This record gives sequence, structure tokens and C-alpha cells, in this order.
Amino acid sequence: MSIATVKPISQGARILSYAGALLETMDAALASHANAFIMGQGVDDFKGIFGSTTGLAEKYGAARVFDVPLMEEGMTGVAIGAALVGDYPITTHIRADFSFLAMNQIINLASKYRYMFGGLMSCPMLIRIVVGRSWGQGAQHSQSPQATFAHYPGLTVVMPSSSQAILDMYPAIINRHPGPVISIEHRLLYNLDFTVSPSEKRVPLTSYVAREGSDVTVVATSVMVLEALRAAQYVQDEAGISAEIVDLNSISHPDWDLVAASLAKTGRLVIADTSWLEYGVAAEVCRQLVVRDPRLLRQPPAMLGMAPAPCPTAKSLEDIYYPSQHETVDAILTQVKGEGHGIALPVERSMTEGYKRFRGPF
Amino acid sequence: MKDEAIYRRLFRTALLIRLVEERIIALYPSDKIQSPVHLSIGQESVAVGVCDGLRPDDLVFATYRSHGFYIAKGGRLDAMFAELYGRTGGISGGKAGSMHLTAPEVGLMGSSAVVASTIPHAVGAALSFKRRGVDRLAVAVFGDGATEEGVYHESLNFAALMKVPVLFLCEDNGLAVHSHRPVRQAYRLAEHAASYGIANRRVEEGWDMLAVRRATLEAAARVRAGEPFVLEIVTSRYKEHVGVGEDFHFNYRTKDGVDAWKGRDPLIVDAQLVEVFRPELEREIAAAVAFAEASPAPGHAELLTDVI
Ligand SMILES: Cc1ncc(C[n+]2csc(CCOP(=O)(O)OP(=O)(O)O)c2C)c(N)n1
Ligand SMILES: [Mg+2]
Repeated sequence: MSIATVKPISQGARILSYAGALLETMDAALASHANAFIMGQGVDDFKGIFGSTTGLAEKYGAARVFDVPLMEEGMTGVAIGAALVGDYPITTHIRADFSFLAMNQIINLASKYRYMFGGLMSCPMLIRIVVGRSWGQGAQHSQSPQATFAHYPGLTVVMPSSSQAILDMYPAIINRHPGPVISIEHRLLYNLDFTVSPSEKRVPLTSYVAREGSDVTVVATSVMVLEALRAAQYVQDEAGISAEIVDLNSISHPDWDLVAASLAKTGRLVIADTSWLEYGVAAEVCRQLVVRDPRLLRQPPAMLGMAPAPCPTAKSLEDIYYPSQHETVDAILTQVKGEGHGIALPVERSMTEGYKRFRGPF
Repeated sequence: MKDEAIYRRLFRTALLIRLVEERIIALYPSDKIQSPVHLSIGQESVAVGVCDGLRPDDLVFATYRSHGFYIAKGGRLDAMFAELYGRTGGISGGKAGSMHLTAPEVGLMGSSAVVASTIPHAVGAALSFKRRGVDRLAVAVFGDGATEEGVYHESLNFAALMKVPVLFLCEDNGLAVHSHRPVRQAYRLAEHAASYGIANRRVEEGWDMLAVRRATLEAAARVRAGEPFVLEIVTSRYKEHVGVGEDFHFNYRTKDGVDAWKGRDPLIVDAQLVEVFRPELEREIAAAVAFAEASPAPGHAELLTDVI
């Protein structure tokens, strides 16, 4: 499925899937960094982390791309030890939920080593974790822990929402970032095609405007950026509303000036996150804006996230658990036109309708 | 006599560790050291015997109870006291303190206050050495209690599978805080290690620096040849788990066991040699304490540096 591109196709642009972008950046990391290696459960098998590491073990050898036992904490500790002696480890968790077994190493060790030792030690490394959604992922294959990880100083947390974000960020992270980075990838994005352009020169670890607009600001993360872009097109077509989409992208270190500048222009805010609202990205966006200047918000903002419950498995429940396209459009329209705006909403209620290619099994 | 020269070298370092910790005990009531201290008094022979059996570029990954390993590996004494004092002249500018000593310049690769958490780090460093074909080994230092943690098991399994040059070094003082080993462990460490195909050895005479050194040399030789090794060294913690006092009056352990150990402790038995080295070591310590006293405390300029 081809997602509407942000910008017109420019010179040198090409179509590249999210998984394809991941594979390219993993390949480039191994090619350009003699001490980079990838380890994780299944990184060298025929599925290759949903196609993001396929063939790399054959190309670079088993010493640099290898399967590990089921040892999330141990693997992360091994990665830290290797990083401390100059390697660049890349680890994977096919579901973010499994990284919780590595919390001790990530939070108590990796995030602290540079500070705790006064700058003497550091463990630059990339931890790739994949958020599951739809096809009955259920309570333990669906969590999106950006707020959890971004809470801890010393961790850098990113959520690439497109192939371009991966191409822009991963090389910068792998080649230059001094500390541990957690990249929260989204399973629904893996099989999507995006237009990417080599000429794009973004500052990698920051936020950016994914669509310019003037009536309302939508601050979004990961797959919700795509939802926001689709909704923005709908409200443009149906109601002539101009929505600006800010892709937060760098969750631990967003560009708050950019967000505030957008709000200064629009005064209306919708936050669309992939996780729970409570103590999460939505709460942090509000905190940042209110502390800066409460007058940036002309009215109370709208927020879209997972319902405040563990994720249910039944499709009928899952469909109402996540914010749908219907609700995203409604939130934008209500911000601009007020309650009872009277504008027809898209019939699509389930996001999986729009992402039909994801039919599991995993 | 060669052994005698080695003994004197080891003895001097062991005595330095003890005198440093005795100085910490003396300083502690002044509140100049405002952080938990886990003393290794009674366990010095392990640190000096092990570090002397390694090569200088072998790496040690340690725990909150690491004054001994820091000194035995060759860390700077003045920077250590300044670190305990929480001063800018400290190894880590005061951000680490007693529980997080590090000295990467001499191969001490950090110490953690979360039990067992640095064990996989040694495995990771060893994995790197193997892949790069570097002739070095990594040592994971931990207590008997740490072997109960899941990550210990994960680390052994992975090290055995990958055949990496790592030495698992267990300091068995029989205690985890106030709890004795038999109520905590349904396994025997040697059998557990053997079930992964990992060669292992238990040294009962942990007071004997030369015996510890020999056992380390032998284990290290096997590790360098490309296999992990579990080396268990029995030892005795004289002081309370954390803090500078004694804790026999709480009756969770008897004084007898420690007294028996003290009857073999070279730093007590060999009183003559203690007096040979004491004056110069006391001068060294006094200079380090003076350095710490003179070092400024960190403030706003340091609070937010080195976060990422
Ligand atoms: C993960 C974790 N659990 C519990 C503690 C509290 N604690 C600190 S030291 C210790 C005992 C560890 O015993 P052992 O590994 O034998 O080391 P020793 O203190 O005897 O040197 C415990 C339980 C901790 N620091 N970390
Ligand atoms: Mg113990």
C-alpha cells in the first residue's frame, strides 16, 4: 500500500518500504562500522525480524549477525559490555513488551553509565523494539512504551514514522550518538511503502513538520502520524480545514520550539499517540506548552490514544480500543468547528481497514 | 625466593586495602563520606590474588563492594578518596561514590549496586575480544548471592554457547546481607556451572593470597584458550553488610566463624610484615585524604553534564 507522500517526488526519490529502510540501514551499519553487530532472537532466520535483517548473517557472517537464547536481560547486558569496549551493538525485540525483561539493564545500567561515572564510561548502542497492533495482538504483544523509556534521563527514544525517518535517523544514531538509543518501530508500518529522497537533509534526532497547515496542530507519534496525515487530507477535502501535523519523532528530545511555534500559529491542538494518555506523550506535550505559555492554547486540547485498559484481543474490542480514523477526523473537526460541527465523518471505523495488508499472523 | 617476593607484593596491596578501609571507618562518623560503604575487610586476599593473576589489560567488571578490586587493579587512591567524599577530584567527579568505582584506564570497567548486573557485561566484553581476535579476558566479579539472579544463569549459558574468554569470579562470603547461603540456594555452584559444561573450581583457602593467585592463573590460562570458567573463592566478611560497624550482636551469625578466619588472615597473623609496610602506606593514604579534603564539591556546573 502506498501512503500519500508528504512532498512531491523530487529528484532521486524512490519507493522504499519501512522494512526495506530498516534493512538498508542495518546493512550500512555493518558495512561502515567494523565493530557493529546485530543480535536478537531470530535476527538470522528466514523471517529476519519482519524482513529488516534478512540475509545479513549470510553477508557479514555469524560473528556479526546472530541469534541469541531467550535472555532479554542478559542480551542487553552483553550489549553493554561490548559497547564499553568499543563495539556498536544493535539488539532487537520483536515485541516491545519483551524489552521489559531487559528493563534492569536498560534503565539501571545503560541509561546511567555515562552520568554515573562522570563521563568516563558510555554505552552507545541501538535497541530496536517493535510495537504490535491488530490481528489480535492482545495485552502482551501491543504495548508502546515510549513514555516509560523517555522518562529516564540518559535514554534517547525515537519513533520513526516512515522510511525517510529511518534513513535520516539510524545512520546518525549508529555513527555518532554517544549513548543508548531505543527505537520504537511499529509493526503496522513495516510493510508500507513510502517515498524517500536522498536530498532530504533533516537534523536527525528531532521533531519535524510532516504537513504544513494553519487552523489546527496535530502532534503525533509513529503510526498516528499516518493517521493524522490521512485525517488532514479528509478535513481539507470535506471542510477546507488546514491541519498542521508535527511528527514528534524524537520522543525523549523533541523540538518543543517547533511545537510551540505551530501552536502560536493555530492555537488549537490535537495529540495523537500510540500509547495510553495517562502520564504519557499527551501529558508531556501539554506540560511543555502550559509551562511555556498557557495562552498558546486557545481552548482545551483533544487527545487520542489507547483506551485506559490493557489491550483486548477480540477484533470488535480492539477496533474501539485504538483511536480510529473516524475519531481522529472528529477530533480535528471539533477543535476547529466546535461540537456538533455537522460534517460527515469517514465511514472507516477500524484502522486495520486502512492497513489491510497486515493480516498477521504476527 | 620468588614466591616470597610475590607474597610481599600481594601483601602490600592487601594491607593498603585494609588500611584504606580502616581509614574510611575512622572518617565515617565525621559525615565526610555521605554514601553507603560496603567494606571488603576480610576479603582483601581475593581481590589482590585475582588481580595479580591477571594481565594488566584484562578487564574486571565489579560490584558495590569493590574498594579492594579498585585498589588491586591499580586505581588512583587520591581520586578514590575524592570520589568517596563526593568531590570534583573524584574519579567520576563525585557522581559515583563508593558503590560505583571505576578505573577504565587500569581495566576496572565499572561497578554496579544492582546485584549481578555487571555479570553479562563481562560476557559482552569477552564476546568482543573473541570476535576481534584480541588476546584478553574479562572477569565478572560477584558475590555468592548474585548467583541466584536469573541473569547469572543467562550469562553462563550464553558464555558457554559462544565459548568466550570470561572468568566468572564468585566471592563466597556465605552471606547475602544477613541471609546465609543454605537458605538461599537449592543448587551447588560447581554442579550448576558443570551443567553448562563450564569448568570450575572452588578455593576454600580464600585467605591465602598466593593460592588465590595460582588458582586465577590456572583458570585464566584455560579462559585464554577459549572457554569460560567459574572460580569460586571462599572468604569472610568481617564487618556489617553495609556501613562501618560490626554486627555480631544481632546474632544472625556468630563471631566464631569470623574469628577462625582471622586466625589465618595474613594481615593479622603476619604482624611483622604489617609494620614493615604500614608507615609508607599510611603516608600514601594521608596524601589521598588530603587531596580529597582540598578538592572542591561539584555544583550546578556539573549537575547536568554527561547525561546522554
Ligand atoms: C537486584 C538487587 N536485589 C537486591 C539488592 C539488595 N542487596 C544489596 S547487596 C545484597 C546481597 C548480595 O549478596 P552477595 O551477592 O553474596 O554479595 P556480598 O554483599 O556478600 O558481597 C542484596 C540482596 C540489590 N542491591 N540488588
Ligand atoms: Mg555474599
